[in-house]
Amino acid sequence: MSLESKVRKVLGRFPYEITFEIRDGVVFLDGEVEAYEEWVEIGLAVGSIKGVEGVVNRIKWKDYPEEELRRKEELRRKLYEENKGRIIGEYDVVIIGGGVAGTAIARELSKYRLKVALLEKATDVSVGASKANNGMIHPGVAPKRGTLKAKLNVRGNAMYDELARDLGVKFKRVGSLWLITPRTLQKYRRYLPGPFYKFVSAYIFPYLVKLKGMLNGVKGIRIIRGEGIWKLEPKATREAWAAVYVPSTGILDPYDLVVALAENAIANGVEIHLETEVVGFIREGETIKGVVTNRGTFLARYVVNAAGVFADEIAELAGSREYTIHPRKGVILLFDKELEGWVNHCVTELRFPAPAHTKGGGINPTVHGNILWGPTAVEVPDKTDTSVHPEEIEEILERYREIYPDFPRHRIIRYFAGVRAPTFTEDFIIRPAKWVKNLLHVAGIQSPGLASAPAIAEYAVEQLRSMGLILEPKPDFNPHREPIPRASEMSLEELDRRIKEDPRWGNIVCTCEMVSEAEIVEAIRRGASTLDAIKRRTRLGMGTCQGGYCTLKAAEILSRELGIPISQVVKENGGRLFNGAVRGEEP
Amino acid sequence: MAAAVKLAGKGYDVALIERKEELGGILDQCIHDGFGTKIFGKALSGPEFAGYFIDEVSKLGLDVHLNTYVKSVNAGGDVKELVTVSPRGVERIKARSIVYAIGCRERHPFEIKVGGTRPAGVYTAGMVQRLVNLYGILPGKRILIVGGGDVGMIVARHLYLEGVESITVVFPEEFFVGLPRNVQQCILDFNIPFRPRTVVKEIVGKERVEGAILVKVDENWRPIPGTEEFYPCDTVIFSVGLVPYAKKLRAIGAEIDPRTRGPVVNEFFETTVRGVFAAGNLVQIFDYVDDAVESAYIAADGVEKYLAGEGRLDNPVPFKPGSNVRTLTPHRLEWKDERPVVAFLRPAVEGRAWIIVRGGNGEILKKEFRQYVRPSTLERIEIPREAISGAEEVYVDVARV
Repeated sequence: MSLESKVRKVLGRFPYEITFEIRDGVVFLDGEVEAYEEWVEIGLAVGSIKGVEGVVNRIKWKDYPEEELRRKEELRRKLYEENKGRIIGEYDVVIIGGGVAGTAIARELSKYRLKVALLEKATDVSVGASKANNGMIHPGVAPKRGTLKAKLNVRGNAMYDELARDLGVKFKRVGSLWLITPRTLQKYRRYLPGPFYKFVSAYIFPYLVKLKGMLNGVKGIRIIRGEGIWKLEPKATREAWAAVYVPSTGILDPYDLVVALAENAIANGVEIHLETEVVGFIREGETIKGVVTNRGTFLARYVVNAAGVFADEIAELAGSREYTIHPRKGVILLFDKELEGWVNHCVTELRFPAPAHTKGGGINPTVHGNILWGPTAVEVPDKTDTSVHPEEIEEILERYREIYPDFPRHRIIRYFAGVRAPTFTEDFIIRPAKWVKNLLHVAGIQSPGLASAPAIAEYAVEQLRSMGLILEPKPDFNPHREPIPRASEMSLEELDRRIKEDPRWGNIVCTCEMVSEAEIVEAIRRGASTLDAIKRRTRLGMGTCQGGYCTLKAAEILSRELGIPISQVVKENGGRLFNGAVRGEEP
Repeated sequence: MAAAVKLAGKGYDVALIERKEELGGILDQCIHDGFGTKIFGKALSGPEFAGYFIDEVSKLGLDVHLNTYVKSVNAGGDVKELVTVSPRGVERIKARSIVYAIGCRERHPFEIKVGGTRPAGVYTAGMVQRLVNLYGILPGKRILIVGGGDVGMIVARHLYLEGVESITVVFPEEFFVGLPRNVQQCILDFNIPFRPRTVVKEIVGKERVEGAILVKVDENWRPIPGTEEFYPCDTVIFSVGLVPYAKKLRAIGAEIDPRTRGPVVNEFFETTVRGVFAAGNLVQIFDYVDDAVESAYIAADGVEKYLAGEGRLDNPVPFKPGSNVRTLTPHRLEWKDERPVVAFLRPAVEGRAWIIVRGGNGEILKKEFRQYVRPSTLERIEIPREAISGAEEVYVDVARV
């Protein structure tokens, strides 16, 4: 069957008049539907057809934000006109997007003699999905065999020991423990009467999971039954019949990794431009000449589109829209550090088939001792929708409660959400653009994006090489990056020594996490200009009181170090913390 | 400071450790008055009240460590070791006893599962009080205050006087739960709008607060579906309760009472770690600073007994909350002493009531009548030792009349 007839067949399942065209393997859909969910469903249905390399979903749904998009477009055009003539510099490679993919690629490129600029529209790197995930370095069992995801996940996972060591990022290979319980194969109970159900669940299914992992190249998977499970996780439910143990799973703080990648890239010559938003491109035929931003134009020989949830918009502006992102929000709950020890591995309860609205998720420790529950997976029309609904919190608490029945679920200290950037083909899209010569797509980087990042960077640079980029290794490339020292982690002797040299090491500003003034000043020196940027680099405000004691002091330090009035101190992006002076006073 | 001053007065060698740059704790930001009505017979402002004790500390020449963070405490045994960190360096301090008076923290919106986004412009009331009174900066101009307690009302008045554009106060109860004098002097006198039986479901705003989704609740504080309403504002201030900062005590092995969320203490405010005492809001949230100071004086007496090696009871007497009592201190009687036991309790009911102290068999040991009790006001009752001598366990009830 030709691709065309396959698409027609799939579209025929829906009660709508949907027209399409196919260009170089990319399917463009047009039409109108009632609900947003249907827009997603149709896109996914077409995206899952073998041979489809991308779905550009131009279908409109009932509440399509026509007006809002028109306003945004007008603003973009205005900024484009204002900045297309202001040349900032000439670069070999311009990377768009300061998330884990963009910064990993930047650091990889900094190994070569190239002039590289990374453009990020927020006030800091790692402000999108890269800061709002559970930091899990997946082993590579889950992705479908043969996908780019599967290949890069397994490869990337293996690269983390060295990478974390070089970058001074805390990383722990805690391993995964996937529990098989009476609920695991629930959907198949009626096909497996009596003792068969338990037999298949405990003695057959785990080996199927192991096989799936082995076929993806994951090593060391073991099946555990009985007491062995509770030796590894003493507090886990006694309902577990068996468990799949995957030793290569790791955890880290994702924003810590991204900041480290960015700092190392900068140290090796990459320019990182924050608060710099791409508003268009200058093209000559099929070649991009320059990237136009709200701060001016960056002339470029190659452009890497690693813009996360906005990658499809960038692709459109560049003239090679080959996919549409359908944002998928994930909510995560964070529990107090005092609960350290409750969970030692990344634990989840296997369900087959996986429930409709989740991509699994589970209960993970962090490298600092906190515990994370989640994430959920909900399709949302707004790319910046990081809202958490109280129902979603309850949903997570319900979903995982059976894994640790006695867990003190009231000890939540925070919850947050991130928006994933999946395309309709649901795999990574890391390939040269089809209709623009010098653009590399690095799109659709959803889970296992973080785990794959080092391999994504390698692969992307290889793609650039195949596009003609000359890679001349730099002999003085320095792979090492020193993290900001922590008063809370150094020996007392070292701390005393540092204090005698610089008393700010002894001025503890955040007393929940023991963060000193010196660390805050160092974070600012390294580029943090907002409260949240400081928080990500020092853990200020991440403790029990969630910033109740330290926020004002930190704002004061920011005001002093940046030379701005305290009423202009920003939490993140445009969000000023405070207003002006009280009545009758000069600020 | 109160404990330090009393102990120094008795001739003990006292060191006072404080994490801020000056003494006084939270009082330095409490510029409203009402402090000291019981102890001094005057309604002082927070700084004035603290000032009295700061002067005493200075007169006695106590060893004061400011800007000092206690990194770890080894509290077992007769000699306790503290490791402190300050701009002067890392120091090790040895002490025969410790009094913790590190107060409480404010409950943050995540603890009450407020949904929505996490933009700039969301604060706790204490933060705003400090910002306005000591930094001279407004948090925003269009304010929503969540919580009908004292702190919220006081901050509402501060903000009104300092020139914000609008304020509304919402809370889940039927009426304000703070002290009646605050309702009159902060809310009614200034005509500040308020909405009972209302809570915040979600916060709206990408980078800065744009508004909140309010929802009405029933008597059980459950949201009533369909009553959601978007309220535009640029600042949301939560004043939803204070919680003893018990983390540090938990770390040294002290038992914590899940009701008060503070340490389990005996009648001299000694924790379950021998020689380690607790006083003030760290033990339970006091409504009057005078009572908090009294707890410190009692703890100081306890330290004296401990250091003198005085006798303890062979069997500690459990001291437990009975009917209609939400929280009660002390949790047990452990010492041989003749002074009355001072108990503090938070009633679960409102109205005219008897406070009844009884033994395990139901025999009434002491009864006191109160014109009006309410959950928002901590009650104090003094129980003579003779009344409870011989009892194997003691209960305290509140009975409505």
